[in-house]
Amino acid sequence: MTDRPAPSRVEAQQRVDDIRTFQDELARLEDEGILRLDPAQRAAIQAHHASLREQFSTLFDVDRDSRAKQLSLGMRVASFLGALALATSVFFLFYQFWGHFGETAQVAILIASSLASFGLTIWLQARDATGYFTKLAALVAFACFVLNITMLGQIFNITPSDKALLPWAAMAFLLAYTCDLRLLLAAGICCVIAWVQARVGTWHGIYWLHAGERPENFFPVAALLFIFPLLVAHRRFPGFAPLYRVFGLLCLFIPMLILSHWGRVSHLDLDPDLIEGGYQVAGFVAAALAIWLGARRGWPEAVNTGIVFFVIFLYTKFYQWWWEIMPKYLFFLVVGLAAVLILLILKRLRRTFQPPAGEGAP
Amino acid sequence: MTKWTRGRTLAIGIALIVLTNAVALGGAWWNRSATPESALTLSERELGLPWRSLRFAEDSGLSLNLNWRVGDREAGEFVSGYTFNGGTPEWLDAAHMAALGFAPGDLSSDRGRQRYARQLPREVILVMELGGPMWQRALARAREDAGRHAAAAAANVGSKQFADRAKRAGDELAREENSNSRLFVIDAGLDARQLREKYPDRSRFLLIHGTVRPALRDRGSDAAQATGYVSRIRTGRIHVPHALRGPLESARGVGEPGSGDRFSAELLVGRRLEPWIADVKQVPKAADGPRANHAGEF
Repeated sequence: MTDRPAPSRVEAQQRVDDIRTFQDELARLEDEGILRLDPAQRAAIQAHHASLREQFSTLFDVDRDSRAKQLSLGMRVASFLGALALATSVFFLFYQFWGHFGETAQVAILIASSLASFGLTIWLQARDATGYFTKLAALVAFACFVLNITMLGQIFNITPSDKALLPWAAMAFLLAYTCDLRLLLAAGICCVIAWVQARVGTWHGIYWLHAGERPENFFPVAALLFIFPLLVAHRRFPGFAPLYRVFGLLCLFIPMLILSHWGRVSHLDLDPDLIEGGYQVAGFVAAALAIWLGARRGWPEAVNTGIVFFVIFLYTKFYQWWWEIMPKYLFFLVVGLAAVLILLILKRLRRTFQPPAGEGAP
Repeated sequence: MTKWTRGRTLAIGIALIVLTNAVALGGAWWNRSATPESALTLSERELGLPWRSLRFAEDSGLSLNLNWRVGDREAGEFVSGYTFNGGTPEWLDAAHMAALGFAPGDLSSDRGRQRYARQLPREVILVMELGGPMWQRALARAREDAGRHAAAAAANVGSKQFADRAKRAGDELAREENSNSRLFVIDAGLDARQLREKYPDRSRFLLIHGTVRPALRDRGSDAAQATGYVSRIRTGRIHVPHALRGPLESARGVGEPGSGDRFSAELLVGRRLEPWIADVKQVPKAADGPRANHAGEF
């Protein structure tokens, strides 16, 4: 038997879902008389599946059926809201009482809370099969660390700096990859986005807090985030690569959308009308490319993000061109017809990327 | 490949927390470890308590706002021509802006003016003077306005309009004499050492990081002049250490800030140009005679 690495939580849940799908389809095939397993084979498969489910339940508390899955969704929502509330509570708790302590005690409390919450997260992760409590603790640990550095800056009047974003990003990534948490991965990516665009801005002499006023400063980090999952495999973290790609595309499309309406904020020293026109075209081309690439590589998040921004680019142009001059029924008719056209194009695209009939059959 | 264990994660996390705190605390220590770059004794005029209405009720900490001003010839009459916490100083001309890193360009065309004005703020070192000639001019102007409007009101007895103007000018003079900040931005540069050589008195000239963005005088015309807007300082809120809060607590609970010289504070600025409060003293109510003046002469 090959010595496979232990699966991640997501992989275990995927396997349990696949087992359920397999059993449903097997039952259908038997009903239709296509396939009939002999009792020994059936028993072997059932025993293997039962063993796998038992193992995954012990390790990760995976959902064994659809009812458990529905409940899990509720638990995820509760865990997310609870994590946000607890993290906020940490901030307010410190603000409520920090003025009653001397500076040494304040610093000691801040460092101790960062260390304790981080230690608690790692301790919980080893014991919490569901992962929900780990998520709560991880977000509190991240909040404690952010509070720690922010308050040190306040206590010692340290000049605000974009450099603080780096340790925050490092902590968020550490917790995200250790506890398999997409929420903290998103937090880490946001810190990286803020830091890279601030650095790009300061290369042009701009004060870092104003770097975001030149939307092109986000393009380097967009490329970085989009390419990163291609360079570093995320097989053990199935939801992570799509998240990088989505944030990469957002860092591309949102600045393009802004520049297609306000050319004056561009780095380019050109006529604003020309800049706006250029970014409108670039926006359509980039959205179409994202859809094409997403469909080709099997990245649904890239396809969806591309479609959303293609539609936004299109409809904002429709609004600019025709809202004032067209009767409203005609305007919305055009918008509806455009949606139909997009559907037809996507349908054709889907057919292009579908494997020919019979492919994959033994 | 080496297996990623929980122990290793724990070690990396602890190292990250400890190292980040060490860098932050080391920086604060480094800032305060040498002879202070600036050391000024300020009053409540320059270090204002937070407004009670704007204060976050559940925040038990206390910070003082550094109030500073800019001599701005385009400001209105009833602020004595001197704007608060931001403005376009008279001394900030095209050559000065170029020295701060802004490209002046050709301001005779619309395109050139747009190109100049769209440049984003840059970080600079601001020089602030406490109770210097700039403040004297503000005071003199307020006195002149008050006198002029009082004379006009006396010559137009019964006119509500003249009476209101005289009252406003009188109020402005009272504020200028008793509660407005005497700390004025008088210069800006990129090199702290050069600025300190130019302004050697550390107890009168404060050097602090701030930002300047391009602005235009006579914006619409071909005679537009390049200038800059001093838009912010980087550490405008200064934390009051727990041990020094005592003298401020009584002032904090009564009235809104800016009601006079109820306390004095020693503000030091270190080698990273980061300020801290080293001492706070309650100023006894001036029973008689003029109030203590910490810098210039009345």
